[in-house]
Amino acid sequence: MESMDTLRPEIARLIAAKEQRRHKLAALSFVEKVRVVVQLQQMVLPVLRARGHAARAWVLDDSNPVGQKQIPT
Amino acid sequence: MEKTLQVLNVLERDGALSRYAIGGAMGATFYAEPVLTFDLDIFVILPQTADGLLTLEPLYAALRARGYTEEGECVNIEGIPVQFLPAYNDLLVEALAEARETLYEQTPTRVLRAEHLAAIAVQTGRDKDRQRVRLLLEQALLDDNYLASVLARHGLDARWKAWIP
Repeated sequence: MESMDTLRPEIARLIAAKEQRRHKLAALSFVEKVRVVVQLQQMVLPVLRARGHAARAWVLDDSNPVGQKQIPT
Repeated sequence: MEKTLQVLNVLERDGALSRYAIGGAMGATFYAEPVLTFDLDIFVILPQTADGLLTLEPLYAALRARGYTEEGECVNIEGIPVQFLPAYNDLLVEALAEARETLYEQTPTRVLRAEHLAAIAVQTGRDKDRQRVRLLLEQALLDDNYLASVLARHGLDARWKAWIP
């Protein structure tokens, strides 16, 4: 097992990368953000349905369907 | 989403509602990172009724006439469950009056100002509202003076200070 001292820089790097990704997401256009929201809906739907919730993902009418545009990772 | 907003614009043009703006989680998403939601919260000023009652029924009737049906608390408009929230206090009336005009694709729409979204979250006071305030503070470009004036005007300074020490 690695010591905490070895892990700390790596964890700090991961946290910084995560923060950077959040700011990239915040900087997207509103249209792109709505696409991300729909992707989030599609990700959690199986869990919600298994719990008996009747939620549905939004149907977008945009010319670029969900997933067609690159979402920052 | 664009068609949904177009329907809202038609409802406003035809007088089924006097004014609308996007709020709630999608309003916050306009200013910050996207957050999961299944409803599009639309704050509305309703036309004055003869008896002065605040009721969504005429709006729902106008939507039914266009083929949009209610699903629980929402109305499904072009594939998106829209929850209409009437402006029931001074803060919401002000937030709607000062909402930001924007375009979604080619369609004009309005989004509540980030400062009003934060103030409404403080007023509502649920756990998820605390998260929303934190998110807006971190990522939205808030006008501190304007936010302070909104909080003072609506008696929310003390709660704000308790939330944001």
